[in-house]
Amino acid sequence: MNYPLFKLTLGVIATVGLYTVLWKENKFYRFWEHAFLGLAAGWSLVALWTESLKSVWWDKMVGVTAEGGGVDTPGFWPYVLLLPIGLMGYFVFSKKHNWLSRVPIGIIIGLWSGQQVQVWWNRYGPQINGTLKPILPTGDGFFVPDTTGMTPEEAAAVAGNLYVSQAITNLIFIATVLCVLSYFLFSFDFKNRFIRGMTVSGRWLLMVGFGAIFGSTVMMRFTLLIDRMYFVWIEWLRDTVLRIGG
Amino acid sequence: METPVTPPAMGFAEKLMSVKRHTLYLLLIVATSVPTFFSITLPNKPDQPSIDFFTTVMALPEGSTILIETDWTKSTRGDSMGQMQALLRILMRHNIKFAIYSTADPAAPQVARDTIGRVSEERRAKGERPYVRWEDWVDLGYFPNSEATNNAIATNIRKAFAGKTEVPGVGQPATDVFRSPVLSHIQKVGDMPLLLVVTASKTFDIIVERLYGKVPLAAMVTGVMGPESTVYYASGQMVGLCVGLKGALDIERMMESGVNNPPDKPVVVNKKNPEVVPGFPGDDNEGNGKAYYPTLHLALTLMILAVIIGNIGMVLTRKGAKS
Amino acid sequence: MNGFFAQVIPPSPFNAPNGSAELWTRLVIALLLGVAAVVALMKAPVSVRKPVVAVSTFCAGLYWVVFFLWPRPVNRLPGDMPSGLVDGVGFWLEDANPIVGNLSNVLSAFLLGLGIYSLLRIHGMRVIKGHKDAFFSAVLLLGILAMGVFGYWDWLDKMSPTGPSLALEANWAFQNRVRDFLFDGLLQEMDAGMFSLIAFYILSAAYRAFRIRSIEATLLLATAFIVMLSFMGLVTGLLDGVIDGIKGTADPGFLDNFKLTEIAKWLRATVETPSLRGIDFGIGIGALAMGLRLWLSLEKTAVSS
Repeated sequence: MNYPLFKLTLGVIATVGLYTVLWKENKFYRFWEHAFLGLAAGWSLVALWTESLKSVWWDKMVGVTAEGGGVDTPGFWPYVLLLPIGLMGYFVFSKKHNWLSRVPIGIIIGLWSGQQVQVWWNRYGPQINGTLKPILPTGDGFFVPDTTGMTPEEAAAVAGNLYVSQAITNLIFIATVLCVLSYFLFSFDFKNRFIRGMTVSGRWLLMVGFGAIFGSTVMMRFTLLIDRMYFVWIEWLRDTVLRIGG
Repeated sequence: METPVTPPAMGFAEKLMSVKRHTLYLLLIVATSVPTFFSITLPNKPDQPSIDFFTTVMALPEGSTILIETDWTKSTRGDSMGQMQALLRILMRHNIKFAIYSTADPAAPQVARDTIGRVSEERRAKGERPYVRWEDWVDLGYFPNSEATNNAIATNIRKAFAGKTEVPGVGQPATDVFRSPVLSHIQKVGDMPLLLVVTASKTFDIIVERLYGKVPLAAMVTGVMGPESTVYYASGQMVGLCVGLKGALDIERMMESGVNNPPDKPVVVNKKNPEVVPGFPGDDNEGNGKAYYPTLHLALTLMILAVIIGNIGMVLTRKGAKS
Repeated sequence: MNGFFAQVIPPSPFNAPNGSAELWTRLVIALLLGVAAVVALMKAPVSVRKPVVAVSTFCAGLYWVVFFLWPRPVNRLPGDMPSGLVDGVGFWLEDANPIVGNLSNVLSAFLLGLGIYSLLRIHGMRVIKGHKDAFFSAVLLLGILAMGVFGYWDWLDKMSPTGPSLALEANWAFQNRVRDFLFDGLLQEMDAGMFSLIAFYILSAAYRAFRIRSIEATLLLATAFIVMLSFMGLVTGLLDGVIDGIKGTADPGFLDNFKLTEIAKWLRATVETPSLRGIDFGIGIGALAMGLRLWLSLEKTAVSS
């Protein structure tokens, strides 16, 4: 059996093995489930060192010998202090000293939370700016005129105006953001009918967002399944076993 | 002895709401398997975010270097591999150099390397120049902490990837990646014309938070992340966005037909920019997008029918209960 | 301290030539000091625990807050020296940025090993004690071992300056082939298989539970249908073709607004995007507040309590 056929065949058997859970939980599924977890954990072990720790920690700590007459990079010994700090995380398994595991976790959380001050504006500033759309029309006419056949100056004049249909669209946009925000922020009971109306509208408009998320999620999940069926029927059966395809 | 009680026969409404889940699973398997055997071309109108993505990548200066954060594995192969394949084909045809790095999954760098290898082999088989590691692309590795890594890139890209080495060629020692032709001229992230993220998770949030304003950003995301990432595209924080299988298909179509091309009767029209962008007509442009699209139709139809049938059953049951 | 954060190559108290006895001596001494500090913390009184965690969290976050607030050096060139205290601190903060970033990466990498250690412990005990599922645990442990061994072996081959180019499959040795089989042939395919299982559950759940019993559910379903139909080029082509047939002219017109693609585009731009933006704003406000509370250890989480 040649290698590509062997590799693909085992891949198909593993895929089918996982799919047997759709019928009911069984030992064949559990075998492949455990094999998957083991291989994933093993790869994490490999990648943690080869892709990450070796270059960002070990090489910096012990230095690098340059080959071919280049300049050696010295080792920076303070990096060794990260080892006991990192290994403190393993005290989570100790009943008496598990508080020590909170030190490295606290450092990571501290680093994350300190960054929130900086990143908040980068992320939300342009979105706040993008939400502040004009809602007062300036152009004549309800609809945006078609610019086909217009001179560049005329087209620029059309682009510079805000027509009634655009103003309505922008108003709906802003109202949606405000209603959804009011739904989140005004989570306490309100007597004011206007605010209550806003929060109810916010809930309805949220459903539109969730509907879009649901539709996109369905597309993506089905694409994953289509990809698996393509792998089984086309890549394995047609192209490798039967050798029909190109 | 008790006589067995025969349950009353199910009405039509109850039958509609009682389809066994195994039947649904089998129907789904059939719906996603049968169309894969047929090569069908279906109409498709690319979305504006995909058009912007395509025109941005096509406008990259030849020989320039871009940074690609690749955070997908084969678990999202259906969406991400088609996107990455289309992207790599464009980059390689335009001699754009790239450096890849990952922050979401330890398996992501290897998957990206395998995909680059496949597209490069495809070029070799056609007699075109294959893409060579070190000369044309480098792999900067995996970084478990996305926030810190992207912060470091924003501040000082050379220090962010300091110590990363690659082997320039057979018989040569591991050498600092900033000595490769890919990165030797890069002093800061702004020296790159684009930073792309191909992701199946929320790493584009982290990239926008830390790198917006420092380098133009674009993303290829899975369908699940589409609505959330559209928010960034709408506010101008991303110059282009490719979402899911539809996005991959949009790129494949535009690679074939171009944008605003031919000028007198364009197949794909870019309403934001009238500039003509010729694609690669007649070249190997098809991938997962085209292969999976017809099957997606059948699967989505099954989903829509299942929901409609369930609701019809509910309505009929209620009517029956009232009467 | 700037010598360390600037990672200066010329000799400084914080570095030593690689492979030298001086470096290894300093490494061993620093490691012993670090271990001594851990032992001291283990013996520390209970009242010290919360302040230690709070101080380490605060100091870690303090760097980023100061980095954001402190004036940054402008047009700094390699070799420039700071002029004054403000500039000096700015230089220090900028030089420290990749180091602090690496700190997160290294600590996160060490902590990721927790999961693997946990797996090894639990499944190892099952095998040793002859648990009824010991066979499956043995499979898991064998998977970790096999991938670990062949993964490292393959990596060593790739990093070796001698030997043939492994970019060509023809040059692969046994260990390269096994790594490819385990990673690409098994792990990646099973990863994809696991994720694709969700499609079945989505279909089944949508059939059973997606009912239009309220306005909200109807809105959700209607939008989901429009979005799903807009992904289907055949459907949009047919429906848009009907509009084109009614319209009859080549120019864009009012009726173009009723094309499914235009409706979906309008819905996406005018309702879906702002509603998700509103959610995002809400989450952002919460994240900012939570970030501040975590930094100052005001939040009574498992970390601070």
